[in-house]
Amino acid sequence: MATDDEDTSPPPRFGDERFDLLGGPVPDPDAEPTAAERAHARTFAELVDKTMAGRTPPAMSADDRALLEVATVIRAASGGLPLAAGKRRELVEDVLRQAVGVGAGGAGANLSGGVTPIARGRARRWAPWLIAGASTLVAAAAIAMLWLRPLPRPVPVAEAVPARWTSRATDPLIGPIPRDRAGDAGARIDYIFADRLDGYRERRFGPGASGSRGGKP
Amino acid sequence: MRKRTRIHAWLGALALAGGLLVSLAIASGVGCSTEIPPGQSGSVTKVPEPGDVIDQDLMIGLAQAKNFHHKAKVYMSDGNLAAATASVRQILSLHFPAGAPEAEDVRLDARALLAKLLVSQGQLEEAMRTVTEGLAQASRESFFVANLHTVQGEIHEARAAQLEEAKDPARAAEEKRAAIAAYDRSIRINEELQKRLMGGK
Repeated sequence: MATDDEDTSPPPRFGDERFDLLGGPVPDPDAEPTAAERAHARTFAELVDKTMAGRTPPAMSADDRALLEVATVIRAASGGLPLAAGKRRELVEDVLRQAVGVGAGGAGANLSGGVTPIARGRARRWAPWLIAGASTLVAAAAIAMLWLRPLPRPVPVAEAVPARWTSRATDPLIGPIPRDRAGDAGARIDYIFADRLDGYRERRFGPGASGSRGGKP
Repeated sequence: MRKRTRIHAWLGALALAGGLLVSLAIASGVGCSTEIPPGQSGSVTKVPEPGDVIDQDLMIGLAQAKNFHHKAKVYMSDGNLAAATASVRQILSLHFPAGAPEAEDVRLDARALLAKLLVSQGQLEEAMRTVTEGLAQASRESFFVANLHTVQGEIHEARAAQLEEAKDPARAAEEKRAAIAAYDRSIRINEELQKRLMGGK
């Protein structure tokens, strides 16, 4: 039985008679792999690795190319090759479109046949709640502003109170004070007191006064 | 089924937004109704603030001032100038409602009488201090301020007389000039106030 150590033959090349694995006789399943088979397996493994890494050799034998395609299909079928998100979405939508009977046509088919893309469908589902949330925020802010803003203080109206009821300067009542009456403050206070007492009584006890009891003091 | 669910979602959201807008409109209406249009009072039935109108405190203050003046007059008629001075001095410490214009007028007038009493007792410096303090505390020009300037002129005249007796004609002349200046201020204030009062009619 031949081993790797005993195999001193050069590695198989394209066109080599020993290299015709696909066209040659099928070896016995229990037979040990020959050195040529091992060498070819190693070479093919490198070829597969390069292809997976995106460095596919520009030239190869038709047999190798066929084997390489089979290997690629097997790898994709086993789930080891993830699809891009866009491609996956397209495939899912294509399948869903076929399922609802809108009409297939592959990933590039026209989507205007009543089927909403998944992304747009999600946006449509959230849109009402986004609008409602925004409206809620705006309304809450407006209500808070209305409640929190300071109200203008009511200004008392001078016209509501007659001037004779108000506390005011006594200049118009007294007038200019002659020099010979400069010290006559006693007479002036009598006059001021009498005038203000009239206003006070009118305000407290007059007919239109607040707190009036209807009679004269 | 999905279409119906989506329609329900839209309807729910629109109902929520509509309800909020209605509540906002109601809140706006309430807010607007509480606003006071310019030129209108908050309430025509508002009770005037103390100090705006003649109230009991003001009347009590005036009555007390009146009584102290009467008391001083009695003392003066008896020739008891010291007691009369003390009585008038008490008017300066009477309580009046804050900001009442009558309070300032009454106090200035009391200071004028007090200064004259002090002059008559020969206390010219105390009299001048009484007048100066009163003028410093005055918040506006009034006939009582003018009267106080008149009294100030009289004090300057009294000082001039004392200086003339003391054979100090130079300082006496200064005092006389100060007296004239005080009388001039009094005249100016009286004229301006009279013009203002006549124009206000």
